Parts: sequence; C-alpha cells; structure tokens
Amino acid sequence: MTALLKVERVTKRFGGLVAVRDVSFELRPGEIAGILGPNGAGKTTLFNLLTGFIALDLGTVEFEGGSLAGLAPHRIVNRGLARTFQLCRPFRGMSVFENVVVGCLAPRVRRAGGTEARARRILDQVGLAAKAAVPVDALSYGDLRRLEIARALATNPKLLLLDEPFAGLGSSEIEPLSALIRRLHAEEGLTILIIEHKLREFMQLVQRVIAMDFGEVIAIGPPAEIVRHPRVVEAYIGRTEAPLGIA
Amino acid sequence: MRRLNKDVIGALTVLAVLALAPLAAQSDYVTGILTVSLIFGIWAVSWDFMSGLSGRENFGHALFIGAGAYTAAFVDGKFDLSPWWGLPAGALVAVLFSLIVGFPTLRLRGPYFALAMLAAATIMQRLMRIFWQYTGGEEGIPGLDPLFDEPLSTYYFCLGALALVTAALLALARSSWGTILRAIRGDEAACQAAGINVTFYKIASLVISAACAGTGGALYADYQQAVTPDVFAVALSITIIIMVYVGGMGSIYGPMGGAIVLALLPEVLRGLGEYRLWVYSVILMFILFFSPDGLVAPLWRRLRGAP
Repeated sequence: MTALLKVERVTKRFGGLVAVRDVSFELRPGEIAGILGPNGAGKTTLFNLLTGFIALDLGTVEFEGGSLAGLAPHRIVNRGLARTFQLCRPFRGMSVFENVVVGCLAPRVRRAGGTEARARRILDQVGLAAKAAVPVDALSYGDLRRLEIARALATNPKLLLLDEPFAGLGSSEIEPLSALIRRLHAEEGLTILIIEHKLREFMQLVQRVIAMDFGEVIAIGPPAEIVRHPRVVEAYIGRTEAPLGIA
Repeated sequence: MRRLNKDVIGALTVLAVLALAPLAAQSDYVTGILTVSLIFGIWAVSWDFMSGLSGRENFGHALFIGAGAYTAAFVDGKFDLSPWWGLPAGALVAVLFSLIVGFPTLRLRGPYFALAMLAAATIMQRLMRIFWQYTGGEEGIPGLDPLFDEPLSTYYFCLGALALVTAALLALARSSWGTILRAIRGDEAACQAAGINVTFYKIASLVISAACAGTGGALYADYQQAVTPDVFAVALSITIIIMVYVGGMGSIYGPMGGAIVLALLPEVLRGLGEYRLWVYSVILMFILFFSPDGLVAPLWRRLRGAP
C-alpha cells in the first residue's frame, strides 16, 4: 500500500541548534500513529515543518505522492492535511459556531457549498452543538480542545495532526476526548498523527509510535515494543517516571 | 428577520435626517460643513472595513485620501478632463498605493503595515512640497472645476456615495468575508491552519478600503475645488481613527455616525470660541474613557434590543 505521508531525511536548524535531524517515516492511509519524546525532542517543530509553518532546510515531505515543499500553510490544509495547536488558539471575540465556519470556508470545502450545515454537523460530531452560540471566551479548557479539533475537521482533512490534544485536561475530560479521536479514526477513516505526553491514553490510542529524542527518530514500532526499546528507556530515565511506570 | 427590519428602519431614518438637514438649515455654509462630514464618513467606514475588522491598524489612511485628491486635481487642473474622471482615477491611484504598501508589509505579522502606512503618507506630503513645480507646493492646486454648480447637489451626491459605500461594506462585513477578517483579528496562524489564505484577504480588503478612501479624497478635492499637501497629513489619519473609535470599531455603520458627529462637533462648539478645541478634547476623552467600545454602535444595539 502506498504511503499517505512520506517524510524523508527532514532537517531543520535554528542557528547552531539542530531541532529536527534527518527524520524519515511514512504514514499509511487509515492509520493512527503517535510521536513520543521528551520536551525539546523536536516534535512540535516537526509538525510545523509538515504543515508549512516553518520552512524545511533539507529533506522532502510528500503527501499523496505530491511534494509539500515551499507550500504556504493554507495550501497544505487545502491538500487535506490539517493540524491543531498545542496551546488552544480560538478566534477570540467570535462564537463557537463562527470559529468552525472559518474552517468550512477553506476553498477545499467551500466549493461544495452548505457551509453552515457543515459547521453544525461538525459541532454535533465533537459534542459542541449545544454551545454553538457561546462566545469562545466563555468556553472551558476542555471545550476549547474540542473546538480546536472541530476547526481542523471543518477543512475535511485526510490526515489530521493533533499536537498534544490532552494537554491541560483532567482525567475525566481525557476519556471522552480519547473516545472522540478513536471514533474519528474508526468511523471517518481519518489518518491521525498525535503528539502526546499523557502516555497511558496515548499508548492505548495509537497503533504505531515514532519515538524522538534530540531531534532524531530513535525508534519506530508498536507501542508495546517502543516502551521496552532500550534507546527510548534511556531517553526517559532521569527525566520522568511515567513511561517506566506504565511499561 | 425582525432585527434586519429594525436595521433597515434605522438606516432609512438616518438617511432621511441627513437628506433633510441642509433643507432645514437653508445655508450654503452649513451645507458645506455637512458635505465634509459625509466625506469623513466615507473615510471612517473604509478604514473600519480593513483595520477595524482585521485588527491590522492603518496609521496612514491619508495616503489613500491624498492620492485620490491629488489625482482628481491633476485630472481636472492639469489634464483638463471632466472632473467626473477624477473619481475613478482617484480610486485607481489609491488602489495602486495600497498594493505598493500592502504587498510587502501585509505578508508579515507585527507593526510593519501600520508603520509603513504612516511613513508613506508622510513621505507623500513631503514630496508634494518638494516637487512644487508640478504640485503647487504648499499652496497646492487651486481653481478646480466643481462636480456640480449647486452646493446642495454636491451634498446629495456625497450622501449617495456614503450610503452606497456603507451599505456595500456592511454587506461584505456581514458575509463570510467579514467572518474571515474577524478570524484574522483573532489569530492569524490559526486562520492559516483553517485553510484560509490570510495574505490574500488582508491585501484585498486594503485594496477595497483604498478604493473607497481614494474616491472620498477625489470628492473632497472637488468640494474644496483645491488640494493642498494637508490631505496627506498624519492629523487627518488620526482624526479618522478617532472617529472610528467613537463610532464603534468593526461595526462599519458606527464609524459613519462617529465621523458625522465628530466632524460637526467643532461647529456646534463654535460659540465657545477659544475653548472649543479644549472642550472637544475633553468630550473625546470622556467618550473613550466611559465607553471604550465607542458610542454610536453600542447605542444602536441598545435601541434595537438584543444582539
């Protein structure tokens, strides 16, 4: 099966610091994968490189066989690759509904028409339908997380990149959000790539893990293998107890 | 639907009052003051469309006004064409200036656009003085042909232009175009992540804003039958921003009201003599202090009831 996303030898330097070094991996259509790594491993930088928010120094990114090199972020979204942000970035001063409408105005979906109906359907899907008219400034953090996903979904992506979707959430909020992501994968056939620190939920959610440290990929494999991988264990020892705790 | 009806009734009432005002005053002087207030309305509404909605403040709206005014003056005074040509020509040259400033600066985030507009308007004001052989220097270009012989005709033409500009920009602001501009104001990167070509919307909105302001500038030149370098003045740009603030930023119709009220206020206060500007400033400070969202738009929302 051909890859949906093919990342080859991607490198990015910031001055003397190599944030992402020689990263290569592929995503198969319909797969749900995760990027694991301690703080500063280059995970978010990699997301920014894939979505055009930062320009590549070296390497290639191919999506459905076409190169994404040099494309502006909005063009990449309109190819079918959408993202969320680690910190929620709602459009302040607008309602929940309007926030999602903006995603529905991406040329990729706008052409099909039915913008408002589509926005309503997506709010329904993520469980925000009852709060459509609420100004985003009045939303709880958990709802902002859902809105972040809803706005990305509005652009009708084939591949969804989620940057720490559980960040800042309590365990009672993580479970339903995790179920939502699983549903998007199972029912919509979305290919999903997740960055996450909450390892327990993460490991249950993803089928494959790309482990990074100091900007490099140190291991790729199923979650059960990755948590026992010597280089992954080494990267985490002394930093946090969590991964060993759940292994 | 009811809300729309109330908006229509409100708009028609304002239009009727403005249509009757010069008839009640029966004085060419008052008609002139009212005409200028309408032209300020066009400038404020066009500023609000770009900057009020998208949050990218433009500190040099006078660049477009001056471009429109001088173009109209050249068309009429130097090329000896009908003054009517000044309106489209003024709009066109203003659009050209908006592309020159907007293209390099609106691709960037940060204060570059605001500062470039401020600088460009100031440079143009200087250039008008330096190239006095062509521009008439400090005296500018006098003796232009008016669009109409009757001051009242000029007034009604400006009223029509203001109504048209306000209605068109209000419709655009309430369409998905306006939703996108407000999203840009909220978070530009998130807007890109939603698949929106942010740079296109900013530049296109500036072009629309410039076209309206340039037409207003041409109208101003025709009304005064002269232009001077002051049409590029920083003070003019700032006055327009204050009018937008008082009107209620981002509402389009509010700045129209703010412009008319503030343009007329000095005349109303004329009886105070030397204290006029002092009182004017204090009134402004009170408005901005006690009603930071402006006066006109919030007042109308309250009158209309519910959002």
